[in-house]
Amino acid sequence: MTTVSVDGLRVSYGKRVVFDDLDLDLGVGVHGLLGPNGAGKTTLMRVLATVLRPDRGDVRLLGHRIDDPAALRQARRQLGYLPQAFGFYPRFTVREFVEYFAWLKEMPPGQIPLAVDRAIERVGLLERADDRMKHLSGGMLRRAGIAQAIVNDPRLLLLDEPTAGLDPEQRVQFRALLRELGLDTVVLVSTHLVEDVVAACTRVNLVDGGRLVFTGLPDELIAAGGDGDSGDSPIERGYTAVLRGARTAPR
Amino acid sequence: MTGFHVDAGVLAAYAEGGLADVDAWSVEAHLDRCADCRTSIASDASTALVVEAVAVSLGSRLPTQGRVRRATGWRRVRVLVGAGPAARAAWLLSVAVTGVLTAGLAVSPTVVPPWLLLLIAPALPAVGTALSYGPRTDPLHELIAGTPQGGLRIVLWRTLTVLAGAAPVAVLAGAVTGIGTPGLWLLPCIALTALTLALGSLIEPAYAALVVAGAWAVVVLAPPVGGLAVLVSSGPGWLGVTAVAAVVVYLRRERVGRQPA
Repeated sequence: MTTVSVDGLRVSYGKRVVFDDLDLDLGVGVHGLLGPNGAGKTTLMRVLATVLRPDRGDVRLLGHRIDDPAALRQARRQLGYLPQAFGFYPRFTVREFVEYFAWLKEMPPGQIPLAVDRAIERVGLLERADDRMKHLSGGMLRRAGIAQAIVNDPRLLLLDEPTAGLDPEQRVQFRALLRELGLDTVVLVSTHLVEDVVAACTRVNLVDGGRLVFTGLPDELIAAGGDGDSGDSPIERGYTAVLRGARTAPR
Repeated sequence: MTGFHVDAGVLAAYAEGGLADVDAWSVEAHLDRCADCRTSIASDASTALVVEAVAVSLGSRLPTQGRVRRATGWRRVRVLVGAGPAARAAWLLSVAVTGVLTAGLAVSPTVVPPWLLLLIAPALPAVGTALSYGPRTDPLHELIAGTPQGGLRIVLWRTLTVLAGAAPVAVLAGAVTGIGTPGLWLLPCIALTALTLALGSLIEPAYAALVVAGAWAVVVLAPPVGGLAVLVSSGPGWLGVTAVAAVVVYLRRERVGRQPA
């Protein structure tokens, strides 16, 4: 089954505990990950991307346990990850950048040239494919980052703040791509833009203070909000209502 | 709602535009009133699957466009090796400077003391290797650490590149200084690099290189300075160090080039 399950996850940086006993289950579809700054969204992404090793907890990606090296390698082949901030080698062209990750993800060589072009085309960068990375704008760099994440047709796709730096038109195109990917892929999108969630996500997860305080449909989050809650849109009101409820509730 | 429904075959013919006008009108008139027939005409899943399969098979037959390189084994090596070290320019410069120092020594031993070359040349590959990966010096570290070829595999590719550049300079330096046998200068090169990789699985690679280079400096500069030839030529010692470091790297392979500690 194409699923992700996290059980009893504990992550800490030195003495600061980010997550203590977090449980999370994700199926096929686009999952929004919402939460205030510092809630642990990026930390969770990095754990699922197998970049950050958790202190404790049972993490299964696409049925593979991440504490078994052979299984981990299998999982990594089917993984796509876009970090919030990433660098690049300035001399690389977009195509070389994406090709590099196709090789790193151990794709079958015969598929690589076409997969590279297809990924670049899906993010709308084909006309700039042979430009060097240092000549791209911020939004284009982010799209190149998305292209490397989807080049191997991942079954688990992790996107940390993918819409940051995109202009409104690109954001609309990106949401369409998200919906398309979510048909057969587990997609987890962290964002601080609640409108991304309404537009593209089938489910929402809300983390705060190292806990998962809400998980459900976008409509359910909207329903949680009342007229008295602050926010400019129904889902923003739902968001603030759930956060307030989680913070006042006894732990 | 009516109890009557249009035959599936007729509906399919209508959807493909295969009905005569008069028949099509009557089907449309029925569709106006009957939601069931409308939904069955919309698009059934099997058709979507066929379309998808056709698209995929067509896609794989399309010629590639632009400056796409064929994915050969040679291309793989080129990409994995050539993509490499972020600090390439700075490091290449230091290799070049060492080359110049070597040349300087060949011209006049008074300008460049031989021990200076012994201090620098074997440490260069260790430093270069550490600079080529790790979160502080590789801008793509975060992305590469999550890939199956990331970690030890890509680090070894880069180590190989670095050694290929630095080892000849070390051998040359050995020949010019007259300390020990030139060929044996390779041994401390490899041993120090292996030590850096091993230590880089415990602490950040950049710091690991600092520690290893520092330790090397202590060994070289500590008295008696006259024993430098012994230092280079102690083959079994260097092989032992390399072997121990290699074992550590193998045992901690999941940590090399990914998150250390």
